[in-house]
Amino acid sequence: MRMIFTILVCKLLRIIGKAVGKGSSLPGQVALKLCPDILSRVKLPSYIIAVTGSNGKTSTVEMIAHILTSNGKKVAWNKEGSNQIEGVTTLVLNSATLGGKVKSDILLIESDERFAKYTFRYIKPTHYVITNLYRDQLTRNGHPEWVYNALKDSIHEGTQLILNADDPLVSRFGADRKDVVWFGADKLSSDTETLESVYNDGAYCPVCKAPMTYTTHHYNHIGHYRCTECGYRRQDTEYTITAVDLDKGVMEIDGKYRISLALKSLYNIYNILSAYTVARIAGISGEKIAADMNNYVLQNGRVITFTLGNRRGTLLTSKHENSISYDQSLRVACAYKEGCDVMIIVDAVSRKYFTSDVSWLWDIDFEMLRSPNVRQIVLAGKYVNDLAVRFSYTDIPNDKIKLFEDIDEAADYLNSDRKEYIYVITCFSDKGKFLGKVKVD
Amino acid sequence: MKLLHLYDDIMNLYGDYANVAALRRILENSGETVTVDKISLGGQAELTDYDFVYIGSGTEENQKLVMKDLARYRESLKAYIQDGKTALLTGNAFEMLGKSVTDSEGKVHEGLGLYDFTVTEQSKTRVTGDVIYESDFLDKPLVGFVNKCSEIQGIKDSLFTVKMGLGDFEGAKAEGIRDRNLFGTHLTGPALIKNPHLLAYIAQCVTGKQPETAYLEHERAGYEITLNELTKRTGES
Ligand SMILES: [Zn+2]
Repeated sequence: MRMIFTILVCKLLRIIGKAVGKGSSLPGQVALKLCPDILSRVKLPSYIIAVTGSNGKTSTVEMIAHILTSNGKKVAWNKEGSNQIEGVTTLVLNSATLGGKVKSDILLIESDERFAKYTFRYIKPTHYVITNLYRDQLTRNGHPEWVYNALKDSIHEGTQLILNADDPLVSRFGADRKDVVWFGADKLSSDTETLESVYNDGAYCPVCKAPMTYTTHHYNHIGHYRCTECGYRRQDTEYTITAVDLDKGVMEIDGKYRISLALKSLYNIYNILSAYTVARIAGISGEKIAADMNNYVLQNGRVITFTLGNRRGTLLTSKHENSISYDQSLRVACAYKEGCDVMIIVDAVSRKYFTSDVSWLWDIDFEMLRSPNVRQIVLAGKYVNDLAVRFSYTDIPNDKIKLFEDIDEAADYLNSDRKEYIYVITCFSDKGKFLGKVKVD
Repeated sequence: MKLLHLYDDIMNLYGDYANVAALRRILENSGETVTVDKISLGGQAELTDYDFVYIGSGTEENQKLVMKDLARYRESLKAYIQDGKTALLTGNAFEMLGKSVTDSEGKVHEGLGLYDFTVTEQSKTRVTGDVIYESDFLDKPLVGFVNKCSEIQGIKDSLFTVKMGLGDFEGAKAEGIRDRNLFGTHLTGPALIKNPHLLAYIAQCVTGKQPETAYLEHERAGYEITLNELTKRTGES
């Protein structure tokens, strides 16, 4: 009785919540109050895929859902991205009958890294993808090793791990396990021999702390590494990016599947690869996946094209407090050969939490904006002074940079007859302030 | 002027390296010729050769590793501090100077023992937050962020008093350590960028002369905005 009642309440709250535009975590929160062990009472599908990691989990989950559903699978997944236990509870109960049976072939869960151990205490994934562990929201997450330890407690026996072999910290999860599936990239034409980053989180072995060496870097500390002491090394991969051409916007998986990229970033190719890997494990053919991913445009609003007066541009949602996310977006702008202007907004550091901490700006490789492809740089928002100071520690000439505390004024300044394409790089917490000034496609 | 950035590649979690860059710039703008050496695990530094020594924050594991390595410098660091030379240790770096650090599993790691304080870590919750501190040597407060999992007991000569946020332990009104020109604080990341008046003070400790500060325009504006944002928070709570 209690279960039926709880499921009913959760469903009703979700309907009301949707009508008034509320997020998806409250119904689950109420359900967990009414019936704390509700997740162990419901009947879950036999196939449960979980995805976690610092970056790319929302996009990866969306891609997996897209591939699986277009190949006839019935998938329940947390589309709204509420990825803590409350949001997952909403997802599960909302997809269940009043009798408590989840009506789908596959349950697909995006999970927050720090809280995964609570969620997966009740829901044991059959397949568990870990995309990467970076410096991400350190004002709450502490540091990557701290997150590693929290995440370790979420992994149970009998779950198959699907791991990014190119990430030295993530790979450590698979060190003593047998049936790990590894995905990663071969040496790519866009690789560098030396590290291109402000800091090096791959300098020391995560296992024994001896120095590590790299034969190639895909980006930052993601690449082919080997410990100089204990033998810890990048694993050989079962599913692999074998080539990429970011100029043309094409990637190749497993030497035979070519996929055109709607977003020409290394991030995107990793997200596609992890989605590909999961779909292959779920029994879908490489040809079909490649067709589904070809020119796939994410629906989650991370990449938004717009018009501002006579000018065209793209907003690349990048996470504040996440330097690798910024580096990736900067790299997209720098690769724009026809010439672009770049706008960076830091107004509210976080959407949910207050903080004035901008130390993460010092981990971002802004130096790359020296590229001749980048013509003008517009810095905006409440923390524009902090941005200005950070840029003063690069070799970018001062006259290339314009400062505006007011985002409206910055947008008005960009609304000119300049011909350059516009890249706006900012976070969820700040993007609305700019998008209100433009016509979104 | 010779600056030494110790353990730059392993104790650099929150953009800490910017502290050294900021000091280098203010000294150069004040007419000094500056060199910066970076020496890490296993390297050999002659502390007496330097006018400034810096160590930033690291993960708990890395701090233990570095603490073992730093033990080699125990006597030379002690002499360096007693000579009144300038050192800045931010984040959990200055914890290494105490008697011991007890990790979350209860294991006791021996510190350098230059001071009598002890450090206890836990692994349950990360203790983080924005802070406002005051000091008896600067006329303006300091702003910043603390990101740790430890409590420190037994510091006699504190660096700051807590106006808002976290001190040495829960509810503590004092923060950090000061001994002559040794500055130890749990402020993480680029504290000298965020607090241009602290930067100027430390520059003066290094050279004994009033530094050039006119160029710190955006630093000062950024500081005022952050202080204002944080002060609003103290009103709310
Ligand atoms: Zn090793």
